[in-house]
Order: sequence, then C-alpha cells, then structure tokens
Amino acid sequence: MTLDIESGIRCPKIDMHCHVWLMDGWEQSADQLVASGDMLGITEYWCSSIIQQGILAPVEEVPPHNDTILSAMARHPKRIRGWCFVIPGHFQDAIEEAERCLDAGMIGIKLYNQYRINDPVLHPILELASERRVPILQHAGYPVPEHRASQPLISHGIHFTEASEKYPDAILIHAHIGGGGDWEHTVREMRQASPNVYIDVSGSNLDDGQVEYAVSELGVERVLFGTDGTMAGSVGKVLDADLSEDEREHIFWTNAERILAQQGAAPTELRIRN
Amino acid sequence: MLIDVNAWLGTWPFRSLRDNTPDALITRLDRSGIDKAVVSYIEAAFHRHPQSANERLARDVEPHGDRLIPVGTINPLSPHWEDDLTSCIDFGMRGIRLFPQYHNYQTDGAEIRSVVQACAQCNLPVFIPHRLEDVRQHHWMDPGQSLDLTQLANLIAAVPSAAIIIPNARPLARSPLWMREDLRDLNWYFDLSLAEIHYGLHKSTNAMKDLGYLIEEGGANHILFGTHLPFSYAGPALVKLAILPVDEEMLEDIKYRTAAKLLNF
Repeated sequence: MTLDIESGIRCPKIDMHCHVWLMDGWEQSADQLVASGDMLGITEYWCSSIIQQGILAPVEEVPPHNDTILSAMARHPKRIRGWCFVIPGHFQDAIEEAERCLDAGMIGIKLYNQYRINDPVLHPILELASERRVPILQHAGYPVPEHRASQPLISHGIHFTEASEKYPDAILIHAHIGGGGDWEHTVREMRQASPNVYIDVSGSNLDDGQVEYAVSELGVERVLFGTDGTMAGSVGKVLDADLSEDEREHIFWTNAERILAQQGAAPTELRIRN
Repeated sequence: MLIDVNAWLGTWPFRSLRDNTPDALITRLDRSGIDKAVVSYIEAAFHRHPQSANERLARDVEPHGDRLIPVGTINPLSPHWEDDLTSCIDFGMRGIRLFPQYHNYQTDGAEIRSVVQACAQCNLPVFIPHRLEDVRQHHWMDPGQSLDLTQLANLIAAVPSAAIIIPNARPLARSPLWMREDLRDLNWYFDLSLAEIHYGLHKSTNAMKDLGYLIEEGGANHILFGTHLPFSYAGPALVKLAILPVDEEMLEDIKYRTAAKLLNF
C-alpha cells in the first residue's frame, strides 16, 4: 500500500517537545512555529525555553525563560502549552519556580543536562511531579564520547530506569530518540523501566526503523510524538514507520492525551478524525 | 514522476538496514510512491579500490533498469581510476559517487579535481554525500566526519562545468556553499532528506527556516528530491515535498525534471 502523505499530514498531532526561545523576536518565532504546525496537522505544542550546555546559571536567570513561555501561551492559548524549566540544584527556588509555573497553567517540568535524572538532587522535583501528576521531560541521549564531552551529565536510558525504580509513579520522558547518539543503546537501557517512562520521537536523526524499535522495546503506549524543531522530519518518520493506524494514533495523540488526563487536563482542541 | 537522487544498496557495517536489496528497495519505493532511485553500493565507501563494487552494482541493478539508476564509485587515490571511470560509463552508470571522508582525501584537493573534471567532460553528475550516518552516533571504526562545505565550494569554483549533488546536507541557507554568491549560478544541488523548511531549532528567526529561507533567497533551483533510503525514512522528504513553498513548475523540477536532465534521461 502506498503511503498516504497528504492524509497523514492532516491527521491531528500533539507535539509534546518543542521550544520558544527567550530572545528578541520570540513573538515572531512563536508565530512561525504555529504557522508551521498548521501545515503539518499539529494542533498544540508543549514548549520550553532552556539554559543549555549544562550551565549552572544563577537562580535569577531561570524565571525569564519561563516568563517567555507564559507569554507565548497567552499569545497562542489554543496552540502553545508550557514546560517549566528549572535547574534542580537551585533546590527550594527550583521547587517554587516549578509551582509558580504549574499554577500559571504549565503542564510539566523540563530539565536539561545540568544533572542526570537519577541524581538525588532531583528527588524533590520528582516528588513534586509525582504529587501533581505532571510529566518531566529531560534532554537525553547516548552520543559518542567526543560529543558527550560537552555535556558530561546528559542522561541516557539507564538513568531513567534507575530514577523510575525509586519513583515508579513519576511520569518521566526521555527526550528525542533522534537527538543524536546511539538510540538503540539508550532505548535498550529502558527495557526494565517503569511503565511511566516514555521516549519521544523528536530530533534531527531520521534513521529508518527508529520509531518501530522504540515501539518494539517499550510498547506503543510509551512512545510520544515530538519534533524539537525537526518538524517535517518527525512527522515523516512516524508516517513512514511500519505501524498500524491505531499505533500511529497512539504516538501522534492518545499517549499525550493520557498524560494530560493524569493532571485533569485535556488537549486544547478535540481530535477530529480524517 | 518522482526521482530519488539519494538511495543505497548493500550493508552498513554498524547497524542493520532493511530494504537494502534491489527487490526490497523497489518494494519500499513502491510504498513511498517513488518511481526511480539513484543507487550505489554502500560497501564502495569502505573499499580502497571500489571497482568490484561497481561491477556488482551494474550486475545487480541491470534487471531493474526501469527503477534503479546505478551510480558508480571512484577513489581518486586508486591507481588508474580513469579505467574505472571508463568502465562505469560502459556499464551505463549515470553518475559517479565520491567519498572524501572515507577514502581520505581533501574535498578541494588536486586528486578530486581531476576526477570531477573528467566527469564533467563525460557529462556525468558527481554525488558527494555530506555524511552517511549522523556523526553523533558514529561507531569508533567510522571516521565520523561530515563533508567540509567550504572545501566543497572551492571544488565547485575550481571545476565550474561540473554538476555536483550533495545529499544529506543540513543546514543549507547558512552553509558556506550558499554563502558563496559567486557560485549560485553553477550546477550544484542539495536534497530534501535532512533540512527543515519552516521551523527549526535555532535562536534566530531566519535560521529557523533553513530550506524555506534558501527558497526565499532564490535557491529553489538547487533542490532535488532525495530520501537517503534505506539509511533514513523516506517519509520526511515526502512530507517536505508536500509542503514546499514553490510553484507547480518548480515543484516538477524538484520532483524529477532537474534530476532527469542531470542523469541524461
């Protein structure tokens, strides 16, 4: 059977991993993001603005990132939802910032590579997320050593497995299977993880078989659709994956919908089938 | 009609590929709505003297000549590569593939210039992949290097009569190649396999658009349809084709007309 790309593009999708950056012109970039989603059937984006490169920035540098996201949510209330970025080493300040943003309507907590997901410094964050039934999305992957050198504390699958042993109810999402690195390695490491550990399909690596591999290792209910800015690429890899339409619907929509439901939320728009 | 200028047969040593035989690839092309695909054997990148891979390619593709377009591989450091080129032409190869990273020579050095010059004289397009695999996951036995596009721009300037196709490149609009305004009227081409059109992970609104910005700047005639099958999914290139901000005429050029001209159909 020939791929039906046109129909697949129209199929509604929740992009649970994307960004609006703290920068001059963020409004234009948010508008550009929404417009690109219109072309690809993406009805809502879960966005964060983050401090990258593992920088342990001063505590006062964090809120402006989250304020940018709150502004983007206000600008596109039906299309943009927020991940609250925190640096767990800020301890009580990180907890307070997460509570501020969740109370303002964000739907989860975003972590970058300042700490690994199984580091004890994250325990208060994991406890907060478990209590409020919100997901944690963390930048992750298993790049080769020369690419790992710039981010020595990047998490990979085994760290998620270990974190989920201590906090089996926490909803943990390993970001971007296609984010660069040995994706087979990091997925295999999550075989024993709690059923509440997910992976998203985003990233610029478009290796054939990647989505099916995640589904075969973790089950289709633990694979989420995200782009991380690789918009057409991420849509294309799910459409081309050797999956049933029901499995594709789980990835594009149902799994994210289930995560929202745990905190009493729902997609911003009803899913309208083709 | 849809022609894929970026497909492969054979074995990648570091990860199992599916659909990497002629029959399986054709089935995948059928599923993807692709009529013809340019193919080379992956193994040729690892052979010091790739002519045996060229001979196998010619033999294996011959029964599928209506679907698979063979492109031979030359190593400029292999003695008497000129004989391999002649042989490729005799086999009916429609182009030549070069691997500077794998055969270990400079992308703008004298060796590659000689081959590209010879191909230009024979009216054969030259395919130089920007990368075969994402370097962030490369096996320790793989060089893990992407093509140096600054050097490639020098090569294009040195052999302006050549047609050069650079599959798997990203980013495009900010690449040293597009930055060389003196080269914009020459015959070089990117494909759709990796670059994004409307939005990407960059903190500048122009860089976000990449392929979209390249098109806005007048670069649409440098784009061809390519998937990187079976390394990559075909879906991403097919989705981009469906939403490319170009008119019908340009879309037909990208889908097949420019490739057909380059491949001398």
